[in-house]
Amino acid sequence: MPLDYFSGLLTGFSLALTPYNLLFGFIGALLGTAVGVLPGLGPAATISLLLPLSYALGNPITSIIMLAGIYYGAMYGGSTTSILLNIPGEAASVVTCLDGYQMAKKGRAGAALGMAAIGSFIAGTIGVIGLTFVAPPLSAFALKFGPPEYFSLTILGLMLATYLSGKSILRGMIMAVLGLLLATVGMDPVTGNTRYTFGLLILEDGFDFLTLGMGLFGIGEIFCTLEGKLKAELVTTKITNLWPTLKDWAVSKWAVIRGSGIGFFVGLLPGGGAVIASLLAYAVEKRVSKEPQKFGQGALEGVAAPESANNAAASASFIPMLTLGIPGNPAIAMIFAALLIQGVTPGPLLLKEHPNLFWGVIASMYIGNVLLLVLNLPLVGLWVQMLKVPYSILAPVIVLICSIGVYSMKNDVSDVMMMVLFGVVGYFFRKLQFELGPLLLAFVLGRILERSLRQSLLISRGDVSIFFARPISAVFLAVVALMILASITMVLYKRLKAKPTPS
Amino acid sequence: MRLWERWTAIFLIFFGTAAAALAYRMGFGDLHHPGPGFFPFWLSAILAFLSFIYLFANLRAAAPGKSLWGKGDWVRPCLAALGMFGYTLLMGELGFFSSSFCLFLFWLILIEREKWKTIGLVSLLGTFCFYLVFGFFLKVPLPKGILF
Repeated sequence: MPLDYFSGLLTGFSLALTPYNLLFGFIGALLGTAVGVLPGLGPAATISLLLPLSYALGNPITSIIMLAGIYYGAMYGGSTTSILLNIPGEAASVVTCLDGYQMAKKGRAGAALGMAAIGSFIAGTIGVIGLTFVAPPLSAFALKFGPPEYFSLTILGLMLATYLSGKSILRGMIMAVLGLLLATVGMDPVTGNTRYTFGLLILEDGFDFLTLGMGLFGIGEIFCTLEGKLKAELVTTKITNLWPTLKDWAVSKWAVIRGSGIGFFVGLLPGGGAVIASLLAYAVEKRVSKEPQKFGQGALEGVAAPESANNAAASASFIPMLTLGIPGNPAIAMIFAALLIQGVTPGPLLLKEHPNLFWGVIASMYIGNVLLLVLNLPLVGLWVQMLKVPYSILAPVIVLICSIGVYSMKNDVSDVMMMVLFGVVGYFFRKLQFELGPLLLAFVLGRILERSLRQSLLISRGDVSIFFARPISAVFLAVVALMILASITMVLYKRLKAKPTPS
Repeated sequence: MRLWERWTAIFLIFFGTAAAALAYRMGFGDLHHPGPGFFPFWLSAILAFLSFIYLFANLRAAAPGKSLWGKGDWVRPCLAALGMFGYTLLMGELGFFSSSFCLFLFWLILIEREKWKTIGLVSLLGTFCFYLVFGFFLKVPLPKGILF
């Protein structure tokens, strides 16, 4: 088996290292970092903005190599904004602000940026090594799955995503169901009947993923940022001493290693992803530190741990997508949808049917990590200059990029109108504190869920016990039931605790 | 429970119920041969049910009467939405170049209240750069209109 891995990886490297793929991997990493650096644009929004570029490439291997570069780049880019502006470039960099900005204020912006880049490189590489060895056996195991297992697994994936993504599991579940319902709009794949189209031609093909993603995440974020009057000042424009000193290494080496481990395992879970990984890594680091009072005052470990964790999680989150066909977070859902559009269905058969793509992506991640380290340290001056562009100019630019991206799919202005509409919907949901992640994930998984449900019912001749009679499916559903029970118990416990005791 | 939370829950209950009724009309089928409305019907029913729980689980919870928007917070997002809807309408009529120029003007004058020099420079240069990169170099088929 290890020999298979080795030969697979060699094939992957031979593909990823072709000048054409290498060039687009580099362009992806560069664009991803450039857009990720801009405040208010997270990885999901970055990927949605740049997704049309990958369509134009035509070749799915080059396309996913570029998208993986964009994803990684966006994750890296976020830390620069956190450290220099005290505004998280993306949600996973929220905790980086705490110590990163304090370090920048004390004149140590270079060390913070350097440690974030190097920690991310080490963690990203550890994550890809894990991906190399975990993904193939998981793929082989998932080959045993039939429609009932897929149905239960998709439910479990959605449940985990709602459970881990926000404060309220109930609101998360409502969003997930809404996402599934949106996915049913258009033509029924089995009978060809139209559903919820109201006679409108534009709805007959259903909602497009890109229109939905750009609207909810790209345009919706602009509306929210406009409300807050984003005003931030660069703490410094001169970045020196990027390479950490020996003392810095001694302080943060274990933070990087612990962050990588936490990030990898959390990233494996659907819905877990980089945000929870970074928060958890920061909390653990503070707990194990001999000087916890230093955290929040400019501790280097407070930058190293979360930045390592979010990059390890970014690598690990490819595992459920590539092996099970379940994207774990909105950014990965974008890549998942891009692959579907290119005619590639991620899942257990991916390794068997498209081994070149599978190993090509993994190899490109190793290369992407090196590229990003090469990009981040020398180009830090360029990113600082980008941060000087005021948001008042950036916002209409983002609107134009989104509009061109959506319009270019079908050359139809009504798609742009639809995107703006989803932007407004996304803005309202954000205001109402409903998480958008579960909605987007559910939208992507909606067709898979419906197909597996209908196939299962056909196989069992209408007997729903098929989902509980097959062991793997039963285990998945049992975990779902346990999660629902646990959350109900938690809510009841909190209410009982909150009740005033009679004095 | 805040007032807006209550209205959201009520809206979602109605939305779910209406969607379930429409799905039932599409053809429910049976468990052995599910029809086109089978899956959406159950989804809509679950949506209505969850929203119902959301409404009643929080109904008695005490909450401060905090408004959804601070004073005047809604103005800029509202203007931006109007501007974008107008942009999509103009795009079909005037083409990409002229409509994008108008969007820049609208955004920088009404939403951001920038200086006239910035407005002129960014609107002209921005539109021209976009047209050059996407229309000329990347050959994206942008909507044609009165200028290009």
